[in-house]
Amino acid sequence: MLLAKTLTSSTFRLALIAIGTFGVVVSAIFSYVYLSTSSYVRSRWDRAIMTEYSSLRSAYDRSGHDGLIELIQQRVADKSFAENVYILADPSLAALAGNLKAWPSTDVAPKGWTEFRAPEPLQGTTGHPLLRAMFETLPNGDRLLVGRDISDLDSFTDRIKAAVISSVVLIFVLAGVASILVTRRTVGRIEAINATSRAIMQSGLDKRIPLRGTNDEWDRVADNLNQMLERIETLMGEVKQVSDNVAHDLRTPLTRMRGRLEKAYHGERHGEADQALIGDTIADLDAVLRIFSSITRIAQIETQARKGAFRTVDLVEVVNEVVELYDAAAEPAGTRLSVAGDREVVVTGDRDLIFDAIGNLVDNAIKHGRAGGQVVVTTENIDGRPVISIADDGPGIPAEEYEHVFKRFYRLERSRYAPGNGLGLSLVAAVARLHDARIELLDNSPGLKLRLWFPGLAT
Amino acid sequence: MTGGHRHILVVEDDPETAGQLVDQLTISGYRVDLAVSGSEALSRGAAIDYAVITIDRMLPDIDGITVMQRLRGGGISAPFLIVSALGEIDDKVRGLRAGGDDYLVKPFSFVELLARIEALGRRSDIVNETILRVGDLAIDLMSRTASRRGRNILLFPREFQLLEYLVRNEGRVVSRAMLLQHVWDLHFDPSTNIIDVYVGRVRRKVDDQQAYPLIHTVRGVGYCLRAPG
Repeated sequence: MLLAKTLTSSTFRLALIAIGTFGVVVSAIFSYVYLSTSSYVRSRWDRAIMTEYSSLRSAYDRSGHDGLIELIQQRVADKSFAENVYILADPSLAALAGNLKAWPSTDVAPKGWTEFRAPEPLQGTTGHPLLRAMFETLPNGDRLLVGRDISDLDSFTDRIKAAVISSVVLIFVLAGVASILVTRRTVGRIEAINATSRAIMQSGLDKRIPLRGTNDEWDRVADNLNQMLERIETLMGEVKQVSDNVAHDLRTPLTRMRGRLEKAYHGERHGEADQALIGDTIADLDAVLRIFSSITRIAQIETQARKGAFRTVDLVEVVNEVVELYDAAAEPAGTRLSVAGDREVVVTGDRDLIFDAIGNLVDNAIKHGRAGGQVVVTTENIDGRPVISIADDGPGIPAEEYEHVFKRFYRLERSRYAPGNGLGLSLVAAVARLHDARIELLDNSPGLKLRLWFPGLAT
Repeated sequence: MTGGHRHILVVEDDPETAGQLVDQLTISGYRVDLAVSGSEALSRGAAIDYAVITIDRMLPDIDGITVMQRLRGGGISAPFLIVSALGEIDDKVRGLRAGGDDYLVKPFSFVELLARIEALGRRSDIVNETILRVGDLAIDLMSRTASRRGRNILLFPREFQLLEYLVRNEGRVVSRAMLLQHVWDLHFDPSTNIIDVYVGRVRRKVDDQQAYPLIHTVRGVGYCLRAPG
C-alpha cells in the first residue's frame, strides 16, 4: 500500500527524472574517459611501432635487402623485443624472414595499418593475440610489416569498460533505492496528514496530526495545520454558541408575536385593539431585524473590507460628540458623564464605527455603572499611542469574566434580564480588531475601566 | 412638490415589493410609474420630469447606481432615493457619492419611505425665513434660540439642530435614521436606543408644562413635530 503510493508519488517521479539526468551525464563523462584513455594508449603504441619500423627501414636503406633480413633475425631472437612481430615477404607474399609464418592477409595496399589475430601463438603467449601493425612495400617490391601484440590494450580497455558500466549501474541502483527511501518518508508524513484529514471529515474536528518532535519542515507544516484546526474548532464552537443564542433571542419575540396574532385571528375584529396589536408586532419585528442587522454588521466589520475607507479621525472630537449624545441617557440615571485628557488625539480609522464603538462602551458604562455615579471618558496619547479609556464606578465585572464579555450574545448572569442583546461588546471587539486596537480591561476599584489602545500613527 | 406635480418613478424588479410601493404611494396621493428593469428606468426617466425617482440597487440588467449616473449625465435633475438590501454603510456612502440624494435600506417601513420621499420632493422649496414657527413654538435660525409663548427654551447646539430638523419637516414623520443622518452625520443605526433618549430630553425641554405637546412619537418609525388642529 505504502510502496504503491511511494511509486506513484510525484516526489518519486521527480527523483527518477533527477536520477535519469544524472545517469546520462555520468555515462557521458565515463565514455569520454574511456575513449580518450584508449586512444592515448593506442597512439603511444602506434608511435613505438613507427619508430621500430623506421629503424628497420633505415637498415634496409643502409645495408639493403640482406642487412634488413639480418636485423629482423636479430630482433626475433632478442627477448626484449618479444612483443613485436615482423615479417618480410616477397612480392608474391611468400615469407622471407620474421616471426610471422605468413603475410596476414591478401591485402595488397602499398602501405597502411592493420589489426589482426595472430595465426599461431607467439613466443611466451598462448592463443591468438590481437596484433596491430604497419606495412609498406619496399623499393625492391618486397613487403615489410612491423607490429606488436596489443591484447594488453584490449584487456585494459575491457577493464575500463567494465568499471564504467558497473559504476553506472551501481549509481542507478543506489540512487533508485535512496529515492524510494526518501519518497517513502515524505509519503509517510503526507499520509499521516491525509489520514488525519479523513478522520476529521468523518468524525470531527478534535483530531490532530501527530508530530514527530524532529522540528523539521514536516513537523512545522503539521504544527501549523494543527493550529489552523484549533482555530477552526474554536470558530465552529462560537458559531454554534451564536446560533444557539440567536435561536433563543429570536424565539422569544417571535413566539410573542405568533401568540398575539393567533389570539387576534381567532377573536373578534376590534379596530383599536387590532391597531395596537399590529403596532406591537411591528415593534417586535423591528427588534428582530435589529438583531439581524447587528449580527451582519459585526460579520461585515470582521471581513476587514472597510479598511479602504479609513480617514484621519480626531478621537477627542468623536468622544465629545458621543458624550454629548449619551449625556441624554446619563441624565435620567443621575450619572455624571465627563471627558478628560489631551486636546488632540488622532488615529486612522472609520469615524462611524469608532463613534458606534465608543457609544456602546459609554452606554454600557452608564447602564452597568452605579446610579448616581460617574463615568469618565479619557482620550490621551500614551507612549505615542492613542488611547481611549472609559471608566465607571459601578460593581465592575469579576476578572474571570474578562475574556468572555466580548463573545457574541454573552451576558453576565446579573444583567440577563436588563435591556440589550449582548452584541454591543462584540461590535466593539470587531471594530477594535479592524483598527488593530487592543482592548484592555482593568479593575477601576470600584468599577470597570476599559481601555482601547490604538496603534501609533506611522510618520 | 415643485409645480404641484406629485409624479414618482419607482424602479423595482421584485413584483411584490413593486406592487406594495405603487399601491401605498398611490393611496398617499402620488402618480406612480413603475420600471422593472434598468433599461426601462433609463427610457422612462429620460422622457418624464419626475418629482422623485426611487431606485433599487440590484436590478436584473443594469446596476441601479449606473442607471442613476446615466440619467444624471443626461441632465435629469430629479432627486434619487436609493432603496437597497445592501445595508452596509459602505454601500450607502458609495450610493450617495455616486449622485444619490438619499438612501433607504431594505427591509424598510413604508412610513419611512414616504417621509424620505416627502423630504426629497420638498428640497427645492428653500425656506429663506430666519424665524420658523409651529403653533406657539418659534425658532430663530440666526440667533439659534427657541421659545414657546415668548419663553426661551435652553437648548444645546445639537438639540437645537434636532429641533430645527423637526420643525423644517413639520407635520411629516422623521425616522431615527434620518435624524442620525441629518443631525449627527452618522450613516448607521447605532446599536443602542440613544436617539429615543436624546429626543426624549429635547421633548422634555420643549413640551413640559406647555398647553399642548408638539413632538409626537410615531410607533416603530420615529417622530413627528406638529401643532394640534
